[in-house]
Amino acid sequence: MKLRDTVTIALKAVTGNRARSLLTMLGIIIGVGAVVLMTSVGESMQSVILGQISALGPKTVAIWPGKNGPEQGAATLNPDFDSITMNDIEALRRLKTISYVTPVIFMPGKVKYGTEESDVTVSGTTPDSYINQPIIATEGRLHDEQDELNGRQVAVLGPDTARDLFGNSSPIGKRIDIGNQKFTVIGVLEAKGSQFFQNMDERILVPFETARVSSQRSYVDMVGTMATGDTADAINDIQFLLRRRHHIIPPTTGIATDNDDFLVRSAEQAQEILGTVSTSLTAFITMIATVSLVVGGIGIMNIMLVAVTERTREIGLRKALGANRNDILLQFLIEAIVLTLLGGIIGLLLGLGMNALVVGIASKFLERYIFAVNFIAMAAALLMAAGTGLAFGIYPARKAAELNPIEALRYE
Amino acid sequence: MTKKESAPLIETKNLHKSYFNEQVETPVLFDINLRIDAGEFVAIMGPSGSGKSTLMHILGFLDVPTSGHYHFKGESTEEKTEDELARIRSSSVSFVFQSFNLLPRTSVIDNVTLPLLYHSGTHPSQRREKAMKAIKAVGLTDRATYLSNQLSGGQQQRVAIARALVTEPGVIFADEPTGNLDSAAGKHVMEILQNLHEEGHTIILVTHEKTTAEHAARIIRIMDGRIVADDRTFERRIASQVKELK
Repeated sequence: MKLRDTVTIALKAVTGNRARSLLTMLGIIIGVGAVVLMTSVGESMQSVILGQISALGPKTVAIWPGKNGPEQGAATLNPDFDSITMNDIEALRRLKTISYVTPVIFMPGKVKYGTEESDVTVSGTTPDSYINQPIIATEGRLHDEQDELNGRQVAVLGPDTARDLFGNSSPIGKRIDIGNQKFTVIGVLEAKGSQFFQNMDERILVPFETARVSSQRSYVDMVGTMATGDTADAINDIQFLLRRRHHIIPPTTGIATDNDDFLVRSAEQAQEILGTVSTSLTAFITMIATVSLVVGGIGIMNIMLVAVTERTREIGLRKALGANRNDILLQFLIEAIVLTLLGGIIGLLLGLGMNALVVGIASKFLERYIFAVNFIAMAAALLMAAGTGLAFGIYPARKAAELNPIEALRYE
Repeated sequence: MTKKESAPLIETKNLHKSYFNEQVETPVLFDINLRIDAGEFVAIMGPSGSGKSTLMHILGFLDVPTSGHYHFKGESTEEKTEDELARIRSSSVSFVFQSFNLLPRTSVIDNVTLPLLYHSGTHPSQRREKAMKAIKAVGLTDRATYLSNQLSGGQQQRVAIARALVTEPGVIFADEPTGNLDSAAGKHVMEILQNLHEEGHTIILVTHEKTTAEHAARIIRIMDGRIVADDRTFERRIASQVKELK
């Protein structure tokens, strides 16, 4: 018997009882659908985050005071909030392995224009930050070295902040209150959307010097910089420098930073962390898929056993007409595989459809959230589905193949 | 015995069959010595429980004897494996059953094609042509695309005969082929079997009815597992000449 004939018979058997076939396949459909959906969402999220990292520039290195990294407005929770001083900044600027050292001070106080009020974050930063994270002004201009040197009271607004405070009228030249000081708006930033779940369009940038003077601080909240070469070298240099300046005994082994009163992170490290996260996510999805495919497989085995009993006479007839054990074995085995593979394909399409739905919704909230699929996961899910058919179809198929033709023909 | 042109189609020597149920032996056939030549039309007749069906199953390679010898076309069949027996069933014998045993919700042509799926001698491209030829032989050309369950009992049995013919087997076994039919349909089926015999087919008919058996040229009577008579049919019935009883 030709394989093609066997497949034809199997397809006929599967399509002959559509409702039952569909119910039988349900476990496989859900399993494969879930895998396709989850891996696709994972892929999309990864591309969003990787896109943000690469927009940030993989050479970006950030330094925060304290052990636990960025905790804005949580100075009281961070006993080392004042560990990075202006003198540290000057020392960092002398390092060869980094360039564009841009300190940041977050200014406290409410932002006001007339009766409009906003809790937007006000960052005092040097014009170098516009090189680290390239951005342009769509209206007016960005602050420059002159503003910096003179400590001018000027402000650049994110587009959302501009709209919140000024509606549709132009904010350029208008004066706003930050805390108890007056600032003149000189520019509006281009829209950037969200980065790391932070709205980049809702912020105010002022010259660093202005922020430093007005807050009367000698320490900074954050330092952004760029590695000139290898980021690992840059991180080493920064850690060495700050530990020496802060009299911290360097850790003797590994990367332990327990004694540090600062934290250094690079975009590259973030990428690596993301890689680890996505690996554990994949392992988790694989586990779910395996469980659902096993459950689905037991369903397939059940229904195949019923099919063998139901078609006992047919099996007897086929044997009487000359079918050998292998012909019967293959017929039922292929029927099981056709069931699971078909279920797999339906699940795949369902997963892709659901993913399209998710993309439709998510792209409204997340910039750069695009339709992405993991082809390897899709192929693996289909293969696993077919493998399930093989594994769980073999027992019923053997049962069918071993039937005695005379008894099978007499079966009522 | 070596394979010879003059060897009988079927030859059994001291054939014995017992069924075993929890080590209790139930003998069914005793000492069957039989010789059937190619081209014969033989009826195996006996009451139910006489062992006639068991004999047919053994002769048709669906079952194996407990002891004794069975030579088919001059060849011993004792050492055959299950798959070798399947191959002989595919190539050399075919069956017509009392309950037709057609695949339900399947067209006439697909039912008739079924044995060819397992027949190594038929290329897939020849299947349709062979099936149509067999369907024509039973006069159902205009019903070829009908589903089996859309046909009357008589028509279904004719499809089963077409299915038995399609592989051009050495022998056709018909197990009570008229048992589930009314007399008119039964007469038609017997007429077809007699025509096939005229054309040279070997037919072994199993029945408990004297009138059905009398359509064959030779009647072997079985009682309690033994052959009690083996004669030429005294007054042979020719189905095409019998007036319908209705």
